[in-house]
Amino acid sequence: MTTYAKVKETLVSLEGAKATVDTYGQIVQDKTVRNVFRRSSDQLDRVIERLKKRLRELELEEPQYRGF
Amino acid sequence: MVPDWVQIVLRSIGFFVLLLLLSRMLGRKVAARMTLFDVMYAIVLGMIATAVSLKIVANAVYGFIALLTWGLVGVGLTFLSMKSKAVRDFLHGREAVVIKHGKIMEEQLKKMRFTPEDLLQQLRAKQIFNVADVEFAVMESNGEINALLKTDRQPVTPHHLGLQAAPETGTQTVIIDGNIMDEPLFTMGLNRGWLKTELKKIGVAPENVFLAQVDSRGDLYVDLFDDAILPPEPTARQLLLATLEKAKADLNSFVLDSGGQETKTMYRQCVREMESLLYDLRPLLK
Repeated sequence: MTTYAKVKETLVSLEGAKATVDTYGQIVQDKTVRNVFRRSSDQLDRVIERLKKRLRELELEEPQYRGF
Repeated sequence: MVPDWVQIVLRSIGFFVLLLLLSRMLGRKVAARMTLFDVMYAIVLGMIATAVSLKIVANAVYGFIALLTWGLVGVGLTFLSMKSKAVRDFLHGREAVVIKHGKIMEEQLKKMRFTPEDLLQQLRAKQIFNVADVEFAVMESNGEINALLKTDRQPVTPHHLGLQAAPETGTQTVIIDGNIMDEPLFTMGLNRGWLKTELKKIGVAPENVFLAQVDSRGDLYVDLFDDAILPPEPTARQLLLATLEKAKADLNSFVLDSGGQETKTMYRQCVREMESLLYDLRPLLK
């Protein structure tokens, strides 16, 4: 598997995980726990943003991956 | 003159209702925690009612007066004992320390008419077979013994191990006997739509569910009428944890694979972010 595909795979699974974390943040009753989920969601957002940026860089370096 | 048997039926019904009312007025505490006084009181009430029903006391009015007197005195004393500690101690007795600093207080045991065998039996009922493990034990006013174990004999809790544990705010039963319970659903902040989606996810019709519970983390447990069908265990949380762990491992491998220094630093930041959120989430998702 190429680097591009690997990064893309990680990105997608992180996006899925973030959606799950968000749902838990909605369901959970306890306030402190809800805050933990919210904070984690923000952290995941930052990681996801970084990976997206890296993917754009990779697309520039190796244009054949564009659109994948 | 009314025949005997009719009188007995009438008296029984009358005193049944009277006892029911009286026991309502006496509150629930009696059944939950009977002290010697409570037991004697209940026996007296029962005996008066029996005596009148069976015509041992010929005059029903006398029986009625006796029962009412006892009943009202009882209600009065319950009220007083709620107000005053002295009345409580007098009526129900005080708790007594029977083991102190690991030593049995023989004098106290004798005062309570408790034999060593009784003490051992009560301790065994609490899974304590070794008196040496007990630091402190109290006999409550109802004769029950509660013991505090020595610190090194106490069961380990997450607190002792310095672990975080996810708080549990209680489980709600959302389906009983195939019927959806709306109120518990609402208290969890959920609705029928959510429940139906969750059931669809595991491929079960609501009518086929005997019992369903939602825990504070939003996991659904179901028991079906048809025990041959095995519903999947809730695994969403473990799955999420595994996904996050895998993503962290992937990011770590990207650090090694990537060439540029800048890219390496970026991935390292990602790994650090993942480590911190995994530290927070792990206790919640286990």
